Amino acid sequence: MTPKEYRYTQEHEWICPESNNKGKVGLADYAQSQLGDIVFLDLPSPGTQVGQGQKMGEVESVKAVTDIFAPASGQVVEINQTIIDEPGLVNKDPYGAGWLVKMELNKPSELDALMDSDKYDEFVAQLTEDESHPAGG
Amino acid sequence: MIELLKKTPLNEVHHDLGARMADFAGWELPVWYTSVLEEHRAVRSRAGIFDVSDMGRVWITGRKAGAFLDRVLTRPVSRLGIGSSQLSLLCLESGGILDDLLAYRLETDRYLIVWNAGNIEQKLDWLKHWAGSDPDIIIQDRTADTVMVAVQGPSVCQLRNLKGICHLPRFGHTQTRIEKAEALAARTGYTGEDGFEIISDAADTTRLWQSFVRQRVKPCGLGARDSLRLEAGMLLYGQDMDTSTNPFEAGLGWLTAMDSRDFIGKSALLEIKRQGIKRKHIGFRMTGQGIAHSGYKIFKCDQEVGEVTSGGYAPTLDVSIGFGYVPIELATIGTDIEIMIRNKPVPAQVVNRQFYKRGA
Repeated sequence: MTPKEYRYTQEHEWICPESNNKGKVGLADYAQSQLGDIVFLDLPSPGTQVGQGQKMGEVESVKAVTDIFAPASGQVVEINQTIIDEPGLVNKDPYGAGWLVKMELNKPSELDALMDSDKYDEFVAQLTEDESHPAGG
Repeated sequence: MIELLKKTPLNEVHHDLGARMADFAGWELPVWYTSVLEEHRAVRSRAGIFDVSDMGRVWITGRKAGAFLDRVLTRPVSRLGIGSSQLSLLCLESGGILDDLLAYRLETDRYLIVWNAGNIEQKLDWLKHWAGSDPDIIIQDRTADTVMVAVQGPSVCQLRNLKGICHLPRFGHTQTRIEKAEALAARTGYTGEDGFEIISDAADTTRLWQSFVRQRVKPCGLGARDSLRLEAGMLLYGQDMDTSTNPFEAGLGWLTAMDSRDFIGKSALLEIKRQGIKRKHIGFRMTGQGIAHSGYKIFKCDQEVGEVTSGGYAPTLDVSIGFGYVPIELATIGTDIEIMIRNKPVPAQVVNRQFYKRGA
């Protein structure tokens, strides 16, 4: 389910490294399933500089508003216009057509600090387990 | 706190369906099963079923039951024919709204009120206070041993087990059998669609629910319940009105029968009416990007002028809408206002509160 070539943050963003130090950023499946139907996205305009872990936008679902954090530092070069018009795509295809922004990375080595898909799957499995035992079991 | 939440007779059914559960007025209820938007659209296009067992169900019987209700409610229910129901308000002596409810006339001296889940004890105490120890007024809260579901949507009359009661007019009700269960079915609802609300014995719960789900009626949660009523211009007690709001500013003056009959709160309401209201509950549509939620501030020319009481995305209209209170001079349709969304003023416009109208 979680693409192997992507890297993941603890806040459930993913980044897919591309050529020329670019990277595509999106929300992981776990995030979209927790949020429920996404109805609005506030994304940074192209040209915006962001630092790794810094807030770069907001995603709003029928249930909650949450911040989107930059998985790496760099400059936003493109936003996915399709999801502005159809936010539900983030729910339907979080790892594909529902991507959020493209960035030009300042330091591609920053991605080494993020989780790979195996680690991230474990991380989510742990969260899911905690959830199924409310109030400490 | 989780163990203190009340559970409806359908609680296990919701869990089995994998619903996302949340606390609503002290009840553990589903927020959604699969998706709020899917559930919302199912009700607008076909049919959905809601567990509304959190709503309080109180039977009022006795020789003086009608006269008693006429005194505590803003509209006289004793003037209804048997088999009818009406929306009404419970007002404090100050004219503040204690609740909005549906009052059913079941028999000559037998009535049912269905009210919101919040402040049950306070409301029951209020009724008991005015009933006193009169043996001809019997108040029975049977919320715990009954179940209530709402089946809503344009295709409800094509459902096998509702076909037989589709002769009922809006607000009409009848005692019937649904899947061998004795049930009180009313042509009512709070979604802006055609539909029924059905009350039966808690023992028949699962059978009743399954009979609808088997006909592909979609289970719907609180999320859709809220977006549907908002889109249809319906107020939610505790958000859009409470004891500090009066019916006129809430735009619910039509629920007060200011005729010769006296009722609790009437003299205060007459005075409020005479003085005129200073603020009004309005509908607005976001013209800028963003979604308003209850508690957000309303601005006009850099001045805070009011507060959002309900808000969200309207799936049928694909716009963001809301309700709020503004000074009366800003309540005119077409007025430009701003909603402060996380410290950013976002433009909006005052529009008719009934955002969505069936068949329009």
